[in-house]
Amino acid sequence: MSDELISIVDEKATVELTIDDEKVAVPEGTSIYDAVIGMGKTIPSMCYHYTFNPFGSCGVCLVEVEGKKAPVRSCTSPVAAGMIVRVDTKTMFDARKKAVEKHLQTHPLDCPVCDADGHCELQDMSFNFGITQIGEVKQKGLPEDRRSAVLDFNMNRCILCAQCINICKEVVMVDALQFFKKGGFTHVVAKGDTALACEFCGDCLAVCPVGAITNKFSKYLYKPWQLTKTVTACNYCADGCQMRVEVTDDAVVRVTSLLSWKDKWDDHAATADGHGGLCVKGRFGFAYINSSERLKKPLIRRNGAPAEASWFEATAEVAKRLKAIKAAHGPDAIAGLITARCTNEDLYAFQKFMRQTVGTNQLDSSARYGHASYVAAMEHALGAGQPTVSFQDVTFANAILVVGSDVTETNPILALRIKDGLRNYHAQVIVAHPVRTNLAKLAPFPYAIHVGSEGAFVQGMTKAVIEEKLVPQRVAAEYATAIAALRAAVASLSWEGLASATGLSREAFTEAARAFVAGERRVIVLGEQIVNRPDGYANVLRIADLMLATGMIGQPGSGVIRPCEENNERGAVAAGAMADRLPGGFRYDDPAARARVASAWGGSLPSGGTTLADMLDGIRTGRIKALYAIGENPLGTLPASAGVREALSRLDLLVTQDAFLTDTGAMAHVVLPAALAAEKDGTFLDGHGRLQPVVRALDAKGEARPDWAIVAEIAQLMGAPLDYTDAGEIRRDLLQIAPAVFEAGAVALRDGFAGEVASRYAQPAVAAEPSSSGYPFELSLYQVLYHSGKMSTRDKGLLEIDAKNRLQIAAKDGEVLGLASGDRAKVSSPLGSVEVGVEVNLDLPTGMCRFPEHFNDPPVKDLLPMRVDPVSKAPAFKAGRVRIEKVAP
Amino acid sequence: MTLKELFDKAVMREILDGLQTTFKHLFVKPVTFQYPHEKRAIPDAHRGALCLLRYDDGAERCVGCDLCEAACPSRCIKVVSEEDPETPLRRIATEFYIDITKCVFCGFCVEACPVNALAMTKMYEYSTANKRDLMFDKAKLYQIGDQMLADAKKYLVVHNQELNDEAAMQYRYKFPYAPAKKG
Repeated sequence: MSDELISIVDEKATVELTIDDEKVAVPEGTSIYDAVIGMGKTIPSMCYHYTFNPFGSCGVCLVEVEGKKAPVRSCTSPVAAGMIVRVDTKTMFDARKKAVEKHLQTHPLDCPVCDADGHCELQDMSFNFGITQIGEVKQKGLPEDRRSAVLDFNMNRCILCAQCINICKEVVMVDALQFFKKGGFTHVVAKGDTALACEFCGDCLAVCPVGAITNKFSKYLYKPWQLTKTVTACNYCADGCQMRVEVTDDAVVRVTSLLSWKDKWDDHAATADGHGGLCVKGRFGFAYINSSERLKKPLIRRNGAPAEASWFEATAEVAKRLKAIKAAHGPDAIAGLITARCTNEDLYAFQKFMRQTVGTNQLDSSARYGHASYVAAMEHALGAGQPTVSFQDVTFANAILVVGSDVTETNPILALRIKDGLRNYHAQVIVAHPVRTNLAKLAPFPYAIHVGSEGAFVQGMTKAVIEEKLVPQRVAAEYATAIAALRAAVASLSWEGLASATGLSREAFTEAARAFVAGERRVIVLGEQIVNRPDGYANVLRIADLMLATGMIGQPGSGVIRPCEENNERGAVAAGAMADRLPGGFRYDDPAARARVASAWGGSLPSGGTTLADMLDGIRTGRIKALYAIGENPLGTLPASAGVREALSRLDLLVTQDAFLTDTGAMAHVVLPAALAAEKDGTFLDGHGRLQPVVRALDAKGEARPDWAIVAEIAQLMGAPLDYTDAGEIRRDLLQIAPAVFEAGAVALRDGFAGEVASRYAQPAVAAEPSSSGYPFELSLYQVLYHSGKMSTRDKGLLEIDAKNRLQIAAKDGEVLGLASGDRAKVSSPLGSVEVGVEVNLDLPTGMCRFPEHFNDPPVKDLLPMRVDPVSKAPAFKAGRVRIEKVAP
Repeated sequence: MTLKELFDKAVMREILDGLQTTFKHLFVKPVTFQYPHEKRAIPDAHRGALCLLRYDDGAERCVGCDLCEAACPSRCIKVVSEEDPETPLRRIATEFYIDITKCVFCGFCVEACPVNALAMTKMYEYSTANKRDLMFDKAKLYQIGDQMLADAKKYLVVHNQELNDEAAMQYRYKFPYAPAKKG
């Protein structure tokens, strides 16, 4: 942790005491344990972990304090001035040894069959203390608690250290576990002694010092020493967690976190760097890597059916046909799509392949779906397209505004940072979301706004800040013209109009604005309901207005964080894998950057460029003849109204490159098997701007290869080779073009900002919905905690946890429609109708229903229209109006 | 040539001298024994082929703990374990392989075994024309164990693994450990 951040933590008076004849000064209120740890010594302890407050249940951390007869538990005893403490004495060693012996009396000696064998704190301690006799043994003989979907609780082994309970309560703030007395023994059970219904993050499993909590997916399969462990980056969301992938010869057996009982000694404030834990996807969503559905060999369509082929045949076929199309129709008849789940190296290699080898700029990545709006708008307004807030800034923020994001579901680890701020640093958390989200239940300022009114809410905040005279002096002086323009612009908004749009009164806006400007460091968490909307670009500009009004521009520790859905959306922008971006994240029409890239590549850059929506139009009109899609599945992602199937069937050549045979892949002429992130080297640029190393943990399944290697081979066969032998070379190439590519730019107000403000407030913030009569419900596709994109629905483990492809409706709507959980309903929109199972959700507002975007069965997504943002070209397809009717069973 | 020399030559004395030892041995017990028609008595501590043992009620002792695999210096043991689908909490070895061509007969695996499921026997005759037969799997190991049960038990006693029947009871863990309910 940097010194700057330490200084943020409140300064306290220091106290002097003597520990083992050495004088030390520590802040008041520190425990003796922390004081000793601070000296570089260790006291064995089983219930201590730096991420939460000391609990003092294990009784091992005993020290001698002069003046006290009995040894004291150092973790729960605060220091006092002049205290004389002895740690390393024979008496204390024996006292601690006795404490461990006491634990062993109730702990069964079933180490040989225990999964924690070899990774057990009690085992290590018994060894270190040299315990050979344990006196009278008292066994519990309890059956295992197997009610949870992912964890087994064996209470015979439990030593009641309460680390699982504490981490769940204090760090994850889910509070799903409790002590429960039954049958004469204390158990750890889910709240109310029911089946565990929590976020399944598995942090309790990680901190358990014995084998009392075990992983159901890897139970009894292997011992810790048999597994090869590789630390690599998770490839679900953009929180960029490092995790330990544990593999045998050819399969991932389990994923463990850096958080564990082994890593327990640190400063409590170090949780700001991340507590090391994972979410349910990271920890339990690894089975897709071992899936038997993985593509193992290339497929070439012969006589209408895909047939297995060798790599040589497949790449030669792709190269031959691409060359033929290029020769006949020119390079612009070829288009490329790549997913932002690829590494930076894959993304860079692919855009270079498209722009150099093929010679076209018909290129897009899945960062287009939402992040593109953010990048374009922020660059336009503030000159920096990438979020500028660091990971720690979220924890140390005085105020956090979460708008349009159900962050505990989409980006659980970022949510933990917000919760850390909430609990330890008293952050004012303001949540604006139509649904009562998990974070809204914890936040001091939750606001239930109308569906789709996130943009209006931000405008209301800006208006409240300006009209309540909360604009900081510094800002009012520095940006006088911009503030004046903004003042005039917000005056044109009426509180009544905002109230009818958002459902919030002027008082509510004022309250939120006052809470938001209370401190110096402010962070806005900008969710997908802001960017993935038809007016996503305009919404982000409204955020820029709020940043200006509250003085967040140029304020250290303040800024916006964009919780991206896919792990490397920032990387896709940085690597230039989008039609409007150059490597380095520069605009494609930036002449200086163009010249630099062109000279580095030794050629010229193609002009023009087509983004996803235009690309589909181009295919439909016959302008584009070939599509090369890496990891992208537009048929499965976009609604039927986008006409993807019709478009793809017109292609002369469709090449897909994926780990699985997707809907799009089933239509493809050539399918190339790609390696997953755990099977290749490279880097991700996570949502916090940290470059995450991706390390190969196991060999790729079958003949699958890394994406960049396949692209490089096709380039070679097309006669314009990309000379790369490993991912590091590609990264060096990218860094040569743009040395600061992985760093966030500086934020500064662009000239012309003031001039534009007025026009932004001329139209209402809520886009007028097309005729809503007859379609009374607002349907939106949402992300659930247990899934990420479509990839996780290939994961056996995650499907076991959650496979609910149900339409969620509000309780009141359920009553009116006569629908209860488990019933079936017909959902219709102007675009069609589907039948779907229903689940009543108490947190939804009336008039809103939602369906998890991860499931295409039933095809609820096809009911929704697709609208493209006019500026950023981001397609919005996750919201629309529907009618719900009960279907008789 | 003296008369004596002549006599010696006539009766071929030198040959008789040479045969004297031979004739003597006509009345001595031979030291060679006729393997494979005769078999040597093998000491109880002999480290022969490995086997897996069962409890007296026929239940497999092995709990699939992988400790033999960890102890093996030549890495010839592979254990595949999982939870017994019928008895929750019980860990079993679904597969167990010993590559006897790699085995150095050190006996470490037997020492490591917490349930005395492994033992060495007096069996040493398993030469074969097919090397694959020397990859002992679980069935083969239990077959050897059933055949050579007496030898295997003696091995464990001699190596202080099971001192005698009375004392051995304390080593007989059955996982999961289920103590007798009081009352």
